[in-house]
Amino acid sequence: MSDLSEAPIPDQQATPDRKSPDVRTPDTAGPGMLPAAGNAALARMLQGAPGGTAALAELVQFGGNAQVARFAGLGDGSAAPPAPGPVAPPAPVNVTVGAHGEEVRDAQIKLSRVQASALPLTEDGRYGPLTASAVRTFQTSAGIAPPTGVLDPVTKTRLDAAFAALPPPARTVLSLGSTGADVGFAQQKLNALGAAPRLTVDAVFDARMLVAVVKYEIGALSRFPTGTVDAAMWADLDKKVKGGFVANEGAGATPVEQNTPSGTATSLAKQVAGTSLHPVTGVGGLTRGPAVEELQQKLNKAGAAPPLKVDGAFGPLTTAALQAFQTGRVPPLAGTGTADKATWDALDAVAPGSTTGAVERQWTEEVGGHVYGMTGANASRYSWEIQKTRMVVTAKITFVGLAPPAAWFGHVESVWNRYMGVETASGKSMPIDFRMVRGAGGDANTVTVSAGKGRANAGQWFAGDKDAANTIPHEFGHLIGLQDEYQLHPGDFVQATGHEPPVGDATGAAVAVTPATIAANLQAAMVARSSANARAASVGAGVKEGAFAQQVVEAYAALATVTVPAAAALPGPPPVPAKPAVPLTGNLLRDLDAALPDDNPRYDTIQVFSYSSGSIMGDPGREKDPHDHGAQPRHIAQFMTILGQALGGTWEAKRR
Amino acid sequence: MILRLVIADGSQTPAVAESVEVADDGAISGWRSVSDGGVGWFAGHLPPGELAEVRALVGAIRAVPPPVPAPPESAEEVLELLATGPVSIAGIADGPGDWPSLAAASRRLLDRLTDFPRAAVAAHHPAPGVARLVHRGTDPVRVDLGDIAVGATSWRGYYELAGDWSGEVEGPGEVEAGPGWTYDIPIGVDGPGSVDGSGSVDGSGGVDGSGSGFESDVVVHLTIDFAILSGTTRVPVRASYTPAVG
Ligand SMILES: [Zn+2]
Repeated sequence: MSDLSEAPIPDQQATPDRKSPDVRTPDTAGPGMLPAAGNAALARMLQGAPGGTAALAELVQFGGNAQVARFAGLGDGSAAPPAPGPVAPPAPVNVTVGAHGEEVRDAQIKLSRVQASALPLTEDGRYGPLTASAVRTFQTSAGIAPPTGVLDPVTKTRLDAAFAALPPPARTVLSLGSTGADVGFAQQKLNALGAAPRLTVDAVFDARMLVAVVKYEIGALSRFPTGTVDAAMWADLDKKVKGGFVANEGAGATPVEQNTPSGTATSLAKQVAGTSLHPVTGVGGLTRGPAVEELQQKLNKAGAAPPLKVDGAFGPLTTAALQAFQTGRVPPLAGTGTADKATWDALDAVAPGSTTGAVERQWTEEVGGHVYGMTGANASRYSWEIQKTRMVVTAKITFVGLAPPAAWFGHVESVWNRYMGVETASGKSMPIDFRMVRGAGGDANTVTVSAGKGRANAGQWFAGDKDAANTIPHEFGHLIGLQDEYQLHPGDFVQATGHEPPVGDATGAAVAVTPATIAANLQAAMVARSSANARAASVGAGVKEGAFAQQVVEAYAALATVTVPAAAALPGPPPVPAKPAVPLTGNLLRDLDAALPDDNPRYDTIQVFSYSSGSIMGDPGREKDPHDHGAQPRHIAQFMTILGQALGGTWEAKRR
Repeated sequence: MILRLVIADGSQTPAVAESVEVADDGAISGWRSVSDGGVGWFAGHLPPGELAEVRALVGAIRAVPPPVPAPPESAEEVLELLATGPVSIAGIADGPGDWPSLAAASRRLLDRLTDFPRAAVAAHHPAPGVARLVHRGTDPVRVDLGDIAVGATSWRGYYELAGDWSGEVEGPGEVEAGPGWTYDIPIGVDGPGSVDGSGSVDGSGGVDGSGSGFESDVVVHLTIDFAILSGTTRVPVRASYTPAVG
């Protein structure tokens, strides 16, 4: 309890030091003006009209032209994200079993890639026996004697050198009509560098990809467009965007696709439009706790006179100060004495930061083509407090039914308490601790605890869940507003994880039928309401997650849509509820969800046409991904923003 | 029909696919696929008092509720009423109001259903080292015991994981289970004897598949996965046994 007794740090409100986005302007050098014919050809291509080689031939006559460059500058790769800034190297010290942090994670990445580990190491930043064993193996192979298993400065230098000496991925020159994994990786990288519209990672070099390649050649490479991804373009793509190849990891040469970072991850689920992140505070809402403290701090910053005592109790003085703030706006807000969305919006504009606060997040997500959410009474509720030496995030839960097993509270902490916020300029750090506590009231979440071991959802957990070490931290993630990272559409996957959809099975080499046939079979299965047929047409035909499956998704979208007639309930077994008529939309995941019964074959079918991460918010049971595992920095980004608002500066989540 | 609830969740294996229906005369019937009280067919009659409560809750319903998204990981829950047709209730939590009350009562009916076994099979733990399938009800049920998967988890104190054991058993294949029928499966979680070497021990609590002594302060939970045959349809099911812990 000593944590709670720590006084909040004094106001250190400062304007967050936001850097302006680093946007390069397109290179406008080039010969002469583009003749009208070239404009027309380019315009057709940029509009995605079927073009192919003829259009390219027409266009390349005008390549290098300034107008082409300006044209291509719209949403092309010219806004490449800057490379991460230099990080000061840590002082050389021995790193060994029990150590943890970014340095350990960096070593794990390298040990797997130089194949010193037996299997790909889980990159969790925890120096355990597997990491130590890999270090010993590396030391032996590098002639460092004796092999200690300790990452001493000599070993680290040699490991860094061995990693740097790994050959770059061998790339294939790509042009219109090319297929295969490298096409998918190029699509990933073009997306990461801003291709608009995004390219489907389907490993097919089609006319849409041709447009993106040409735009990139002109806008980013400033060269006469060839319509090919040649060695020079590969070198540029690989320099600017990491990942996008398959590496053998560990002594057993396990092939592991290396994730391609893309954009900034937004792991928070989509907030319901028109809702506030602040709970209603004051009369009719919360009258105690962090929400009230936040209100008092912000009213003080907004000029409450005399200043309010920040005690988290909504009394007459707070009421009066709130009313004064409300009526003092131009135009005035109703002086209700209750902080609603409009009042909080006004307060946030005046005083964005505070050292404590409460969040009530109403959100939705689409998983497996179905919309889920936590809204209304089910909203995610949590609070945070910036103390002297750390930040504490608390989700309070009213447990209904059975009592929660004590181990659950520890499971939350062992998965989530792995990070600290680090202020990039000053190096100041602040551990972020997450806590699940029991409690009641308007700022608590409600969870029913049931006997047995069913599949938990955000509102019902099972006391007899032997996998609680994963399940409870996952559901806790929802309570702090995080979305799921499984069975996602590609665009949602990129947004949630910050990396491109994996290329996976690029060509469907084991699949004997075309994507168009599979798509037609899937549609027929939906019309027949047969999930077994859908699975047979996809998983059963050899379709696996990845680029080839996305070719099926595209082929399906191109089919003429039909309406699946309404179906009466079936008594079963297994019983099936009555289903209304389903007008198919061409969106495969949504159509599978709407037309087919919720059973194993449907789930398996949706799985191969969607994307899932291996993180704690993904599906670690199905997606074994040593790189994207457990809680990731993206999952706590919202607290980095809060630190910046309260303390100033730019904060990043680092392993601790 | 007064109401019919179907709950389905294909994200777990075996899938949840269950139903309960209450008829005008108070007859309650349905199917359970993943259940403590047995899996299979259930049928009986609700006492007049309970039927009246259900009628009152259903009678209060006038219109379809505003759509509420279901929480993440929720099963599909479709409630059919004459007044509304099928309505998705997965997003409707227990609480005040006509729809929350009806939704909660409907879910409870699915549990109540297991008090009326007709042709069902339940899991028991009659003695250390034994998992038992037991017929429930009056009618025979055809079961496929060709491929049985057993999970046993032992708990100490209040849900402190003490051990975890899983094994697969090649059983007798298709059999008809009628009144009085039982089938025993040796398990390795809390008694001597393992299951033909196919059991695996992956718990961290010192449980030994080849036989550690029974601990009297340990509570064992079981799941037994097999299939029930309905005509030509083979329906995977899970009978579970989850006595109170602590
Ligand atoms: Zn989830």
